[in-house]
Amino acid sequence: MEALALSLVNAVPPLAGVPLWTVTLLLMVVVAAVILVFALTFEGVGSLVLRKVAGDIQARIGPNRVGPNGILQFVADGVKLVLKEDIIPANADRLLFKLAPYFVFVGSFAAFVVVPFGVGLIAADLNIGIYYVMAVTSLVVVGILLAGWSSNNKWALLGGMRAASQIVSYEIPVGMALIPAVLIAGSLSLQDIVRSQGGLLGIFGWNVFHNPFTFFSFFLYFTAAQAETNQTPFDLPEAESELVSGYNVEYSGIRFGLFFLAEFGDMFIVAALATACFLGGWNVPFFHAATLPWIWGNLLSLGVFLAKAFAMVLVMMWVRWTLPRLRVDQLMRMAWKFLVPLTFVNLLGVSLWLLVFRGKGIPGMIASLFG
Amino acid sequence: MGLKAYLNDIVEAVVTTAKGMRITARYGVDPKEEVTLQYPEERWEIPKDYRGFLHNDIKTCTACNMCVKTCPVDCISLESVRGADKKMVLCSYDINIGRCMYCGLCVEVCPVNSLKHTSGYEMASADRGEMILHFIAEDAAEIKARVARQVAEAAAKAAEAAKAAEASKAAEVPKPADLSADLSSVAAKAAKEEAAKAGGDDPKAAKAEAPKAAPEKKE
Repeated sequence: MEALALSLVNAVPPLAGVPLWTVTLLLMVVVAAVILVFALTFEGVGSLVLRKVAGDIQARIGPNRVGPNGILQFVADGVKLVLKEDIIPANADRLLFKLAPYFVFVGSFAAFVVVPFGVGLIAADLNIGIYYVMAVTSLVVVGILLAGWSSNNKWALLGGMRAASQIVSYEIPVGMALIPAVLIAGSLSLQDIVRSQGGLLGIFGWNVFHNPFTFFSFFLYFTAAQAETNQTPFDLPEAESELVSGYNVEYSGIRFGLFFLAEFGDMFIVAALATACFLGGWNVPFFHAATLPWIWGNLLSLGVFLAKAFAMVLVMMWVRWTLPRLRVDQLMRMAWKFLVPLTFVNLLGVSLWLLVFRGKGIPGMIASLFG
Repeated sequence: MGLKAYLNDIVEAVVTTAKGMRITARYGVDPKEEVTLQYPEERWEIPKDYRGFLHNDIKTCTACNMCVKTCPVDCISLESVRGADKKMVLCSYDINIGRCMYCGLCVEVCPVNSLKHTSGYEMASADRGEMILHFIAEDAAEIKARVARQVAEAAAKAAEAAKAAEASKAAEVPKPADLSADLSSVAAKAAKEEAAKAGGDDPKAAKAEAPKAAPEKKE
Protein backbone atom coordinates (compact mmCIF):
# COMPACT_ATOMS: atom_id res chain seq x y z
CA MET A 1 0.00 0.00 0.00
CA GLU A 2 2.88 2.33 0.78
CA ALA A 3 4.46 1.57 -2.59
CA LEU A 4 1.21 2.45 -4.27
CA ALA A 5 1.11 5.69 -2.28
CA LEU A 6 4.69 6.48 -3.38
CA SER A 7 3.89 5.94 -7.03
CA LEU A 8 0.78 8.07 -6.63
CA VAL A 9 2.83 10.88 -5.12
CA ASN A 10 5.33 10.58 -7.97
CA ALA A 11 2.57 10.65 -10.55
CA VAL A 12 0.74 13.63 -9.05
CA PRO A 13 3.30 16.33 -8.14
CA PRO A 14 0.95 18.51 -6.02
CA LEU A 15 0.74 15.63 -3.51
CA ALA A 16 4.46 15.92 -2.75
CA GLY A 17 3.78 18.38 0.05
CA VAL A 18 1.46 15.98 1.87
CA PRO A 19 3.06 13.56 4.35
CA LEU A 20 3.33 10.07 2.88
CA TRP A 21 1.41 8.43 5.71
CA THR A 22 -1.62 10.65 4.99
CA VAL A 23 -1.68 9.57 1.38
CA THR A 24 -1.28 5.94 2.43
CA LEU A 25 -4.08 6.25 4.95
CA LEU A 26 -6.37 7.88 2.38
CA LEU A 27 -5.58 5.14 -0.11
CA MET A 28 -6.38 2.53 2.50
CA VAL A 29 -9.75 4.15 3.20
CA VAL A 30 -10.52 4.30 -0.51
CA VAL A 31 -9.59 0.65 -1.02
CA ALA A 32 -11.62 -0.38 2.01
CA ALA A 33 -14.58 1.59 0.67
CA VAL A 34 -14.28 -0.05 -2.73
CA ILE A 35 -14.16 -3.51 -1.19
CA LEU A 36 -17.04 -2.68 1.13
CA VAL A 37 -19.12 -1.51 -1.81
CA PHE A 38 -18.26 -4.68 -3.68
CA ALA A 39 -19.09 -6.84 -0.67
CA LEU A 40 -22.40 -5.11 -0.03
CA THR A 41 -23.39 -5.28 -3.67
CA PHE A 42 -22.50 -8.94 -3.81
CA GLU A 43 -24.44 -9.61 -0.66
CA GLY A 44 -27.48 -7.76 -1.96
CA VAL A 45 -27.48 -9.32 -5.40
CA GLY A 46 -26.51 -12.65 -3.88
CA SER A 47 -29.65 -12.69 -1.77
CA LEU A 48 -31.76 -12.08 -4.85
CA VAL A 49 -29.95 -14.75 -6.86
CA LEU A 50 -30.28 -17.16 -3.95
CA ARG A 51 -34.02 -16.72 -3.93
CA LYS A 52 -34.25 -16.95 -7.70
CA VAL A 53 -32.21 -20.16 -7.71
CA ALA A 54 -34.37 -21.52 -4.92
CA GLY A 55 -37.43 -20.68 -6.99
CA ASP A 56 -36.07 -22.39 -10.08
CA ILE A 57 -35.02 -25.50 -8.22
CA GLN A 58 -38.30 -25.78 -6.35
CA ALA A 59 -40.33 -25.24 -9.55
CA ARG A 60 -41.46 -21.81 -8.43
CA ILE A 61 -40.79 -18.37 -9.85
CA GLY A 62 -39.18 -16.54 -6.96
CA PRO A 63 -39.39 -12.81 -6.32
CA ASN A 64 -40.78 -11.05 -9.39
CA ARG A 65 -42.71 -8.04 -8.16
CA VAL A 66 -40.16 -5.34 -7.38
CA GLY A 67 -38.76 -3.95 -10.58
CA PRO A 68 -38.61 -5.83 -13.88
CA ASN A 69 -38.58 -9.54 -13.11
CA GLY A 70 -37.90 -8.79 -9.45
CA ILE A 71 -34.38 -7.42 -9.95
CA LEU A 72 -34.86 -4.67 -7.41
CA GLN A 73 -36.04 -7.02 -4.68
CA PHE A 74 -32.75 -6.73 -2.82
CA VAL A 75 -33.07 -2.94 -2.73
CA ALA A 76 -36.51 -3.28 -1.21
CA ASP A 77 -35.19 -5.80 1.32
CA GLY A 78 -32.31 -3.54 2.22
CA VAL A 79 -34.52 -0.50 2.69
CA LYS A 80 -36.89 -2.57 4.79
CA LEU A 81 -34.09 -3.85 7.00
CA VAL A 82 -32.69 -0.37 7.54
CA LEU A 83 -36.05 1.17 8.33
CA LYS A 84 -37.23 -1.50 10.75
CA GLU A 85 -37.19 -0.87 14.45
CA ASP A 86 -34.06 -2.04 16.21
CA ILE A 87 -35.45 -4.06 19.10
CA ILE A 88 -33.38 -5.14 22.08
CA PRO A 89 -35.09 -7.70 24.31
CA ALA A 90 -35.82 -6.52 27.84
CA ASN A 91 -33.59 -9.03 29.61
CA ALA A 92 -30.84 -9.14 27.02
CA ASP A 93 -27.25 -8.40 27.84
CA ARG A 94 -27.37 -5.06 26.08
CA LEU A 95 -23.66 -4.51 25.48
CA LEU A 96 -22.97 -7.97 24.10
CA PHE A 97 -26.23 -7.93 22.18
CA LYS A 98 -25.17 -4.76 20.39
CA LEU A 99 -21.62 -5.99 19.88
CA ALA A 100 -22.37 -9.41 18.40
CA PRO A 101 -23.42 -8.39 14.86
CA TYR A 102 -20.26 -6.35 14.44
CA PHE A 103 -18.09 -9.32 15.34
CA VAL A 104 -19.88 -11.44 12.79
CA PHE A 105 -19.77 -8.82 10.07
CA VAL A 106 -16.17 -7.81 10.70
CA GLY A 107 -15.14 -11.46 10.75
CA SER A 108 -16.56 -12.05 7.32
CA PHE A 109 -15.62 -8.67 5.83
CA ALA A 110 -12.01 -8.67 7.03
CA ALA A 111 -11.38 -11.80 5.00
CA PHE A 112 -12.00 -9.78 1.83
CA VAL A 113 -8.66 -8.08 2.45
CA VAL A 114 -6.61 -10.97 1.11
CA VAL A 115 -8.91 -12.11 -1.68
CA PRO A 116 -6.82 -12.01 -4.88
CA PHE A 117 -9.23 -10.35 -7.29
CA GLY A 118 -6.72 -9.93 -10.09
CA VAL A 119 -3.09 -9.71 -11.11
CA GLY A 120 -2.54 -6.66 -8.97
CA LEU A 121 -5.96 -6.37 -7.39
CA ILE A 122 -5.57 -7.35 -3.79
CA ALA A 123 -6.05 -5.10 -0.81
CA ALA A 124 -3.11 -6.57 1.05
CA ASP A 125 -0.99 -9.43 -0.24
CA LEU A 126 -0.20 -10.79 3.20
CA ASN A 127 2.46 -13.48 3.25
CA ILE A 128 0.24 -15.40 5.67
CA GLY A 129 -2.88 -15.00 3.51
CA ILE A 130 -4.62 -18.32 4.11
CA TYR A 131 -3.69 -18.35 7.75
CA TYR A 132 -5.12 -14.85 8.08
CA VAL A 133 -8.42 -15.89 6.50
CA MET A 134 -8.72 -18.86 8.83
CA ALA A 135 -7.94 -16.72 11.83
CA VAL A 136 -10.11 -13.77 11.05
CA THR A 137 -13.18 -15.79 10.06
CA SER A 138 -13.02 -17.34 13.53
CA LEU A 139 -14.34 -14.04 14.80
CA VAL A 140 -17.66 -15.14 13.35
CA VAL A 141 -17.91 -17.89 15.98
CA VAL A 142 -17.36 -15.37 18.74
CA GLY A 143 -20.05 -13.12 17.31
CA ILE A 144 -22.54 -15.93 16.90
CA LEU A 145 -21.89 -17.24 20.39
CA LEU A 146 -22.28 -13.73 21.80
CA ALA A 147 -25.51 -13.25 19.88
CA GLY A 148 -26.88 -16.54 21.15
CA TRP A 149 -25.89 -15.85 24.74
CA SER A 150 -26.87 -12.21 25.01
CA SER A 151 -30.33 -12.64 23.48
CA ASN A 152 -31.52 -14.42 26.64
CA ASN A 153 -33.56 -16.76 24.51
CA LYS A 154 -33.27 -20.51 24.59
CA TRP A 155 -33.44 -20.93 20.84
CA ALA A 156 -30.82 -18.29 20.31
CA LEU A 157 -28.60 -19.93 22.89
CA LEU A 158 -29.05 -23.36 21.33
CA GLY A 159 -28.20 -21.90 17.95
CA GLY A 160 -25.14 -20.17 19.32
CA MET A 161 -23.87 -23.33 21.02
CA ARG A 162 -24.45 -25.36 17.90
CA ALA A 163 -22.64 -22.77 15.81
CA ALA A 164 -19.68 -22.76 18.13
CA SER A 165 -19.28 -26.54 18.15
CA GLN A 166 -19.87 -26.76 14.42
CA ILE A 167 -17.52 -24.02 13.31
CA VAL A 168 -14.76 -25.10 15.65
CA SER A 169 -15.08 -28.69 14.44
CA TYR A 170 -15.12 -27.85 10.77
CA GLU A 171 -12.27 -25.40 10.92
CA ILE A 172 -9.89 -28.35 11.13
CA PRO A 173 -10.90 -30.06 7.87
CA VAL A 174 -11.09 -26.66 6.15
CA GLY A 175 -7.55 -25.83 7.12
CA MET A 176 -6.28 -29.30 6.36
CA ALA A 177 -7.94 -29.33 2.96
CA LEU A 178 -6.34 -25.99 2.04
CA ILE A 179 -2.83 -27.03 2.99
CA PRO A 180 -2.19 -29.05 -0.23
CA ALA A 181 -2.46 -25.79 -2.18
CA VAL A 182 -0.01 -24.20 0.23
CA LEU A 183 2.36 -27.15 -0.17
CA ILE A 184 2.30 -26.94 -3.95
CA ALA A 185 2.85 -23.20 -4.04
CA GLY A 186 5.30 -23.22 -1.16
CA SER A 187 3.69 -20.08 0.21
CA LEU A 188 0.78 -19.01 2.36
CA SER A 189 0.21 -15.90 0.29
CA LEU A 190 -2.90 -16.24 -1.86
CA GLN A 191 -1.24 -14.37 -4.75
CA ASP A 192 1.65 -16.85 -4.76
CA ILE A 193 -0.80 -19.75 -4.67
CA VAL A 194 -2.69 -18.34 -7.64
CA ARG A 195 0.53 -17.68 -9.58
CA SER A 196 1.67 -21.26 -8.97
CA GLN A 197 -1.34 -22.46 -10.96
CA GLY A 198 -0.62 -20.37 -14.05
CA GLY A 199 1.52 -21.35 -16.96
CA LEU A 200 0.86 -22.89 -20.31
CA LEU A 201 -1.12 -25.88 -19.06
CA GLY A 202 -4.38 -23.98 -19.08
CA ILE A 203 -7.00 -25.37 -16.78
CA PHE A 204 -4.78 -28.41 -16.18
CA GLY A 205 -2.41 -26.16 -14.33
CA TRP A 206 -5.07 -25.76 -11.64
CA ASN A 207 -4.47 -27.40 -8.33
CA VAL A 208 -7.61 -29.54 -8.64
CA PHE A 209 -5.98 -31.46 -11.47
CA HIS A 210 -2.52 -31.47 -9.95
CA ASN A 211 -2.87 -34.98 -8.57
CA PRO A 212 -5.67 -37.24 -7.29
CA PHE A 213 -5.22 -36.08 -3.73
CA THR A 214 -5.71 -32.41 -4.53
CA PHE A 215 -8.77 -33.37 -6.54
CA PHE A 216 -10.33 -34.91 -3.45
CA SER A 217 -8.99 -32.09 -1.37
CA PHE A 218 -11.07 -29.63 -3.35
CA PHE A 219 -14.29 -31.47 -2.60
CA LEU A 220 -13.36 -31.98 1.02
CA TYR A 221 -12.63 -28.28 1.34
CA PHE A 222 -15.88 -27.36 -0.32
CA THR A 223 -17.92 -29.63 1.94
CA ALA A 224 -16.21 -28.51 5.12
CA ALA A 225 -16.36 -24.85 4.15
CA GLN A 226 -20.05 -25.18 3.45
CA ALA A 227 -20.40 -26.37 7.03
CA GLU A 228 -18.13 -23.69 8.42
CA THR A 229 -20.26 -20.95 6.91
CA ASN A 230 -23.52 -22.52 8.13
CA GLN A 231 -24.79 -23.20 4.64
CA THR A 232 -27.91 -25.26 4.38
CA PRO A 233 -27.06 -28.90 4.67
CA PHE A 234 -25.24 -27.79 7.80
CA ASP A 235 -27.35 -24.82 8.86
CA LEU A 236 -28.06 -26.18 12.32
CA PRO A 237 -27.29 -22.88 14.07
CA GLU A 238 -30.13 -21.27 12.14
CA ALA A 239 -32.42 -24.20 11.54
CA GLU A 240 -35.59 -22.24 10.85
CA SER A 241 -37.81 -25.24 11.40
CA GLU A 242 -36.54 -26.13 14.84
CA LEU A 243 -34.79 -23.09 16.32
CA VAL A 244 -37.00 -20.50 14.59
CA SER A 245 -33.93 -18.70 13.32
CA GLY A 246 -31.25 -19.76 15.75
CA TYR A 247 -28.79 -17.26 17.11
CA ASN A 248 -30.37 -14.29 15.39
CA VAL A 249 -34.02 -14.76 16.47
CA GLU A 250 -34.05 -11.69 18.65
CA TYR A 251 -32.35 -9.42 16.15
CA SER A 252 -34.22 -7.02 13.94
CA GLY A 253 -33.55 -4.11 11.68
CA ILE A 254 -30.01 -3.20 10.79
CA ARG A 255 -28.46 -5.60 13.29
CA PHE A 256 -30.19 -8.52 11.66
CA GLY A 257 -29.06 -7.04 8.37
CA LEU A 258 -25.45 -7.34 9.48
CA PHE A 259 -25.87 -11.04 10.22
CA PHE A 260 -27.52 -11.46 6.88
CA LEU A 261 -24.74 -9.66 5.03
CA ALA A 262 -22.10 -11.64 6.88
CA GLU A 263 -23.72 -14.88 5.76
CA PHE A 264 -23.41 -13.90 2.11
CA GLY A 265 -19.96 -12.47 2.69
CA ASP A 266 -18.87 -15.83 4.06
CA MET A 267 -20.33 -17.50 1.03
CA PHE A 268 -18.21 -15.35 -1.24
CA ILE A 269 -15.09 -15.90 0.87
CA VAL A 270 -15.52 -19.66 0.61
CA ALA A 271 -16.04 -19.46 -3.13
CA ALA A 272 -13.09 -17.10 -3.52
CA LEU A 273 -10.78 -19.34 -1.52
CA ALA A 274 -11.87 -22.40 -3.47
CA THR A 275 -11.21 -20.47 -6.68
CA ALA A 276 -7.83 -19.15 -5.56
CA CYS A 277 -6.55 -22.37 -4.05
CA PHE A 278 -7.90 -24.98 -6.43
CA LEU A 279 -9.41 -23.44 -9.55
CA GLY A 280 -6.55 -21.31 -10.74
CA GLY A 281 -7.68 -18.00 -9.24
CA TRP A 282 -7.48 -15.15 -11.73
CA ASN A 283 -5.36 -17.10 -14.20
CA VAL A 284 -6.77 -16.87 -17.69
CA PRO A 285 -6.26 -20.23 -19.43
CA PHE A 286 -3.43 -20.28 -21.99
CA PHE A 287 -2.76 -16.62 -21.47
CA HIS A 288 -0.57 -14.46 -19.31
CA ALA A 289 -2.76 -11.73 -17.91
CA ALA A 290 0.28 -10.21 -16.24
CA THR A 291 1.88 -9.43 -19.60
CA LEU A 292 -0.98 -7.19 -20.69
CA PRO A 293 -1.05 -3.47 -19.88
CA TRP A 294 -1.87 -2.94 -16.20
CA ILE A 295 -5.49 -1.93 -16.67
CA TRP A 296 -6.49 -4.60 -19.19
CA GLY A 297 -4.61 -7.35 -17.43
CA ASN A 298 -6.32 -6.53 -14.19
CA LEU A 299 -9.76 -6.21 -15.74
CA LEU A 300 -9.40 -9.51 -17.56
CA SER A 301 -8.12 -11.35 -14.52
CA LEU A 302 -10.78 -9.73 -12.34
CA GLY A 303 -13.45 -10.92 -14.75
CA VAL A 304 -12.07 -14.45 -14.80
CA PHE A 305 -11.77 -14.57 -11.03
CA LEU A 306 -15.29 -13.27 -10.44
CA ALA A 307 -16.73 -15.65 -13.02
CA LYS A 308 -15.13 -18.61 -11.26
CA ALA A 309 -16.08 -17.38 -7.79
CA PHE A 310 -19.68 -16.69 -8.77
CA ALA A 311 -19.93 -20.09 -10.39
CA MET A 312 -18.81 -21.58 -7.09
CA VAL A 313 -21.40 -19.48 -5.26
CA LEU A 314 -24.04 -20.85 -7.59
CA VAL A 315 -22.90 -24.39 -6.83
CA MET A 316 -23.17 -23.61 -3.13
CA MET A 317 -26.73 -22.41 -3.65
CA TRP A 318 -27.47 -25.49 -5.68
CA VAL A 319 -26.24 -27.71 -2.84
CA ARG A 320 -28.13 -25.57 -0.41
CA TRP A 321 -31.47 -26.18 -2.08
CA THR A 322 -30.84 -29.86 -2.65
CA LEU A 323 -29.76 -31.44 0.60
CA PRO A 324 -31.79 -31.69 3.80
CA ARG A 325 -30.36 -30.56 7.10
CA LEU A 326 -28.23 -32.95 9.13
CA ARG A 327 -28.87 -33.87 12.73
CA VAL A 328 -26.39 -32.58 15.32
CA ASP A 329 -24.88 -35.99 15.93
CA GLN A 330 -24.64 -36.64 12.19
CA LEU A 331 -22.91 -33.32 11.76
CA MET A 332 -20.31 -34.10 14.39
CA ARG A 333 -19.89 -37.63 13.09
CA MET A 334 -19.29 -36.29 9.62
CA ALA A 335 -16.68 -33.82 10.86
CA TRP A 336 -14.70 -36.05 13.19
CA LYS A 337 -15.13 -39.48 11.68
CA PHE A 338 -15.07 -38.63 8.02
CA LEU A 339 -13.79 -35.20 7.06
CA VAL A 340 -10.94 -34.92 9.56
CA PRO A 341 -9.41 -38.36 8.85
CA LEU A 342 -9.91 -37.98 5.11
CA THR A 343 -8.26 -34.57 4.99
CA PHE A 344 -5.33 -35.93 6.98
CA VAL A 345 -4.97 -38.85 4.59
CA ASN A 346 -5.16 -36.39 1.71
CA LEU A 347 -2.55 -34.14 3.23
CA LEU A 348 -0.25 -37.13 3.69
CA GLY A 349 -0.90 -38.20 0.12
CA VAL A 350 -0.14 -34.77 -1.32
CA SER A 351 3.03 -34.49 0.75
CA LEU A 352 4.22 -37.91 -0.43
CA TRP A 353 3.36 -37.07 -4.01
CA LEU A 354 5.32 -33.85 -3.90
CA LEU A 355 8.22 -35.65 -2.29
CA VAL A 356 8.26 -38.54 -4.76
CA PHE A 357 7.58 -36.62 -7.97
CA ARG A 358 9.51 -33.51 -6.96
CA GLY A 359 6.51 -31.22 -6.97
CA LYS A 360 5.26 -32.17 -10.41
CA GLY A 361 1.59 -32.82 -11.03
CA ILE A 362 0.10 -35.35 -13.43
CA PRO A 363 -0.62 -32.81 -16.19
CA GLY A 364 2.91 -31.45 -15.81
CA MET A 365 4.39 -34.91 -16.21
CA ILE A 366 2.25 -35.63 -19.27
CA ALA A 367 3.30 -32.30 -20.76
CA SER A 368 6.98 -33.01 -20.13
CA LEU A 369 6.56 -36.36 -21.96
CA PHE A 370 5.83 -34.40 -25.10
CA GLY A 371 8.62 -31.96 -24.42
CA MET B 1 -17.83 -50.12 12.14
CA GLY B 2 -15.49 -51.94 9.84
CA LEU B 3 -13.45 -50.29 7.16
CA LYS B 4 -15.73 -51.66 4.48
CA ALA B 5 -18.83 -50.12 6.06
CA TYR B 6 -16.91 -46.88 6.53
CA LEU B 7 -15.96 -46.67 2.87
CA ASN B 8 -19.46 -47.73 1.86
CA ASP B 9 -20.83 -44.81 3.87
CA ILE B 10 -18.58 -42.40 2.01
CA VAL B 11 -19.51 -43.80 -1.38
CA GLU B 12 -23.19 -43.74 -0.51
CA ALA B 13 -22.97 -40.14 0.65
CA VAL B 14 -21.31 -39.06 -2.57
CA VAL B 15 -23.65 -41.04 -4.80
CA THR B 16 -26.87 -39.92 -3.14
CA THR B 17 -25.73 -36.31 -3.08
CA ALA B 18 -24.92 -36.47 -6.76
CA LYS B 19 -28.28 -38.04 -7.46
CA GLY B 20 -30.12 -35.34 -5.57
CA MET B 21 -28.15 -32.60 -7.23
CA ARG B 22 -28.93 -34.02 -10.64
CA ILE B 23 -32.63 -33.86 -9.88
CA THR B 24 -32.51 -30.30 -8.58
CA ALA B 25 -30.37 -29.26 -11.53
CA ARG B 26 -32.99 -30.59 -13.90
CA TYR B 27 -35.68 -28.58 -12.15
CA GLY B 28 -33.42 -25.55 -11.97
CA VAL B 29 -32.61 -25.55 -15.66
CA ASP B 30 -36.03 -26.40 -17.05
CA PRO B 31 -38.21 -23.30 -16.83
CA LYS B 32 -41.32 -25.22 -17.86
CA GLU B 33 -41.50 -27.00 -14.54
CA GLU B 34 -42.79 -23.92 -12.77
CA VAL B 35 -46.08 -24.58 -11.05
CA THR B 36 -46.60 -21.14 -9.55
CA LEU B 37 -49.85 -19.42 -10.39
CA GLN B 38 -49.55 -15.65 -10.16
CA TYR B 39 -52.73 -15.46 -8.14
CA PRO B 40 -54.44 -12.15 -8.65
CA GLU B 41 -53.68 -12.28 -12.37
CA GLU B 42 -54.07 -16.02 -12.90
CA ARG B 43 -56.46 -18.37 -11.18
CA TRP B 44 -57.24 -22.02 -11.03
CA GLU B 45 -60.19 -23.09 -13.09
CA ILE B 46 -63.03 -23.66 -10.65
CA PRO B 47 -64.28 -27.28 -10.68
CA LYS B 48 -67.87 -27.91 -11.66
CA ASP B 49 -69.23 -28.79 -8.22
CA TYR B 50 -67.07 -26.32 -6.34
CA ARG B 51 -68.61 -25.30 -3.02
CA GLY B 52 -67.93 -21.59 -2.80
CA PHE B 53 -69.92 -18.88 -1.11
CA LEU B 54 -73.63 -19.53 -0.72
CA HIS B 55 -76.16 -17.57 -2.68
CA ASN B 56 -79.87 -17.57 -2.10
CA ASP B 57 -82.20 -16.55 -4.86
CA ILE B 58 -84.78 -14.85 -2.68
CA LYS B 59 -87.34 -14.74 -5.47
CA THR B 60 -87.73 -18.51 -5.43
CA CYS B 61 -87.06 -19.02 -1.75
CA THR B 62 -90.15 -20.19 0.08
CA ALA B 63 -88.81 -19.46 3.56
CA CYS B 64 -89.31 -23.09 4.45
CA ASN B 65 -86.60 -22.91 7.14
CA MET B 66 -85.02 -26.22 6.05
CA CYS B 67 -81.59 -24.70 5.51
CA VAL B 68 -81.66 -23.07 8.93
CA LYS B 69 -82.57 -26.34 10.58
CA THR B 70 -79.99 -28.42 8.75
CA CYS B 71 -77.03 -26.07 9.13
CA PRO B 72 -74.59 -27.75 11.56
CA VAL B 73 -72.90 -24.49 12.50
CA ASP B 74 -76.00 -22.29 12.58
CA CYS B 75 -74.68 -19.78 10.13
CA ILE B 76 -77.99 -19.17 8.35
CA SER B 77 -80.65 -17.04 9.97
CA LEU B 78 -84.01 -16.31 8.47
CA GLU B 79 -87.08 -14.31 9.43
CA SER B 80 -90.42 -14.58 7.70
CA VAL B 81 -94.04 -13.65 8.11
CA ARG B 82 -97.13 -15.02 6.49
CA GLY B 83 -98.21 -12.67 3.76
CA ALA B 84 -101.65 -11.67 2.54
CA ASP B 85 -101.74 -14.47 -0.06
CA LYS B 86 -101.08 -17.13 2.60
CA LYS B 87 -97.47 -17.65 1.37
CA MET B 88 -94.50 -16.97 3.66
CA VAL B 89 -92.74 -13.69 3.02
CA LEU B 90 -89.02 -13.40 3.75
CA CYS B 91 -88.14 -10.49 5.98
CA SER B 92 -84.45 -11.21 6.25
CA TYR B 93 -82.10 -13.93 5.03
CA ASP B 94 -78.55 -13.72 6.39
CA ILE B 95 -75.62 -16.13 6.01
CA ASN B 96 -72.63 -15.67 8.23
CA ILE B 97 -70.08 -16.72 5.63
CA GLY B 98 -67.29 -16.40 8.15
CA ARG B 99 -68.84 -19.21 10.11
CA CYS B 100 -69.97 -21.35 7.19
CA MET B 101 -67.98 -24.54 6.71
CA TYR B 102 -69.14 -25.18 3.16
CA CYS B 103 -70.57 -28.61 3.93
CA GLY B 104 -73.34 -28.12 1.38
CA LEU B 105 -76.11 -29.63 3.51
CA CYS B 106 -78.31 -26.55 3.14
CA VAL B 107 -78.02 -26.71 -0.63
CA GLU B 108 -78.93 -30.37 -0.69
CA VAL B 109 -81.93 -29.87 1.49
CA CYS B 110 -83.35 -26.84 -0.30
CA PRO B 111 -86.66 -28.01 -1.87
CA VAL B 112 -86.87 -25.30 -4.52
CA ASN B 113 -83.12 -25.11 -5.32
CA SER B 114 -82.99 -21.46 -4.52
CA LEU B 115 -79.93 -21.84 -2.25
CA LYS B 116 -76.80 -22.62 -4.22
CA HIS B 117 -73.03 -22.62 -3.95
CA THR B 118 -71.38 -20.08 -6.18
CA SER B 119 -67.77 -20.24 -7.34
CA GLY B 120 -66.81 -17.27 -5.22
CA TYR B 121 -64.06 -17.73 -2.66
CA GLU B 122 -62.46 -14.33 -2.26
CA MET B 123 -63.45 -12.23 0.69
CA ALA B 124 -61.53 -10.31 3.26
CA SER B 125 -62.69 -7.87 5.84
CA ALA B 126 -61.32 -6.15 8.89
CA ASP B 127 -64.54 -6.67 10.77
CA ARG B 128 -66.32 -9.97 11.35
CA GLY B 129 -69.68 -8.26 10.89
CA GLU B 130 -68.82 -7.70 7.25
CA MET B 131 -68.68 -11.44 6.77
CA ILE B 132 -72.46 -11.71 7.11
CA LEU B 133 -74.12 -11.80 3.73
CA HIS B 134 -77.50 -10.06 3.65
CA PHE B 135 -79.68 -11.27 0.82
CA ILE B 136 -82.52 -8.86 1.49
CA ALA B 137 -81.53 -5.27 1.31
CA GLU B 138 -84.74 -3.91 2.82
CA ASP B 139 -85.05 -3.62 6.55
CA ALA B 140 -86.85 -6.56 8.15
CA ALA B 141 -89.06 -4.33 10.30
CA GLU B 142 -90.24 -2.42 7.22
CA ILE B 143 -91.17 -5.60 5.41
CA LYS B 144 -93.04 -6.81 8.47
CA ALA B 145 -94.93 -3.56 8.74
CA ARG B 146 -95.81 -3.61 5.06
CA VAL B 147 -97.00 -7.19 5.16
CA ALA B 148 -99.00 -6.45 8.29
CA ARG B 149 -100.64 -3.54 6.50
CA GLN B 150 -101.53 -5.73 3.53
CA VAL B 151 -102.90 -8.35 5.83
CA ALA B 152 -104.92 -5.82 7.73
CA GLU B 153 -106.32 -4.44 4.49
CA ALA B 154 -107.28 -7.89 3.36
CA ALA B 155 -108.87 -8.61 6.71
CA ALA B 156 -110.81 -5.36 6.55
CA LYS B 157 -112.02 -6.26 3.08
CA ALA B 158 -113.10 -9.62 4.37
CA ALA B 159 -114.90 -8.06 7.27
CA GLU B 160 -116.70 -5.70 4.91
CA ALA B 161 -117.70 -8.58 2.74
CA ALA B 162 -118.93 -10.41 5.78
CA LYS B 163 -120.93 -7.41 6.90
CA ALA B 164 -122.44 -7.06 3.46
CA ALA B 165 -123.36 -10.69 3.50
CA GLU B 166 -124.98 -10.31 6.87
CA ALA B 167 -126.95 -7.35 5.68
CA SER B 168 -128.20 -9.15 2.59
CA LYS B 169 -129.03 -12.13 4.79
CA ALA B 170 -131.00 -9.97 7.14
CA ALA B 171 -132.97 -8.56 4.22
CA GLU B 172 -133.78 -11.85 2.63
CA VAL B 173 -134.16 -13.76 5.86
CA PRO B 174 -133.68 -17.26 4.58
CA LYS B 175 -134.06 -19.57 7.53
CA PRO B 176 -131.47 -22.30 6.79
CA ALA B 177 -128.57 -19.85 6.17
CA ASP B 178 -128.68 -18.48 9.68
CA LEU B 179 -126.10 -20.76 11.13
CA SER B 180 -123.49 -20.28 8.44
CA ALA B 181 -123.76 -16.51 8.61
CA ASP B 182 -123.12 -16.60 12.28
CA LEU B 183 -120.01 -18.67 11.69
CA SER B 184 -118.61 -16.35 9.05
CA SER B 185 -118.98 -13.29 11.22
CA VAL B 186 -117.08 -15.03 13.99
CA ALA B 187 -114.24 -15.91 11.64
CA ALA B 188 -113.94 -12.36 10.33
CA LYS B 189 -113.83 -10.96 13.82
CA ALA B 190 -111.05 -13.37 14.79
CA ALA B 191 -109.02 -12.39 11.74
CA LYS B 192 -109.35 -8.71 12.50
CA GLU B 193 -108.22 -9.18 16.05
CA GLU B 194 -105.19 -11.12 15.01
CA ALA B 195 -104.09 -8.59 12.41
CA ALA B 196 -104.37 -5.78 14.89
CA LYS B 197 -102.39 -7.73 17.46
CA ALA B 198 -99.01 -8.26 15.82
CA GLY B 199 -98.92 -7.19 12.26
CA GLY B 200 -100.10 -10.65 11.55
CA ASP B 201 -98.50 -13.91 12.38
CA ASP B 202 -101.23 -15.55 10.46
CA PRO B 203 -102.86 -12.85 8.40
CA LYS B 204 -103.16 -14.70 5.17
CA ALA B 205 -105.19 -17.44 6.71
CA ALA B 206 -107.62 -14.96 8.14
CA LYS B 207 -107.94 -13.14 4.91
CA ALA B 208 -108.41 -16.29 2.92
CA GLU B 209 -111.01 -17.63 5.30
CA ALA B 210 -113.10 -14.55 5.35
CA PRO B 211 -113.78 -14.22 1.59
CA LYS B 212 -114.62 -17.87 1.45
CA ALA B 213 -117.10 -17.51 4.22
CA ALA B 214 -118.80 -14.63 2.50
CA PRO B 215 -119.81 -16.39 -0.73
CA GLU B 216 -121.01 -19.28 1.34
CA LYS B 217 -123.42 -17.01 3.11
CA LYS B 218 -124.69 -15.51 -0.09
CA GLU B 219 -126.05 -18.76 -1.30
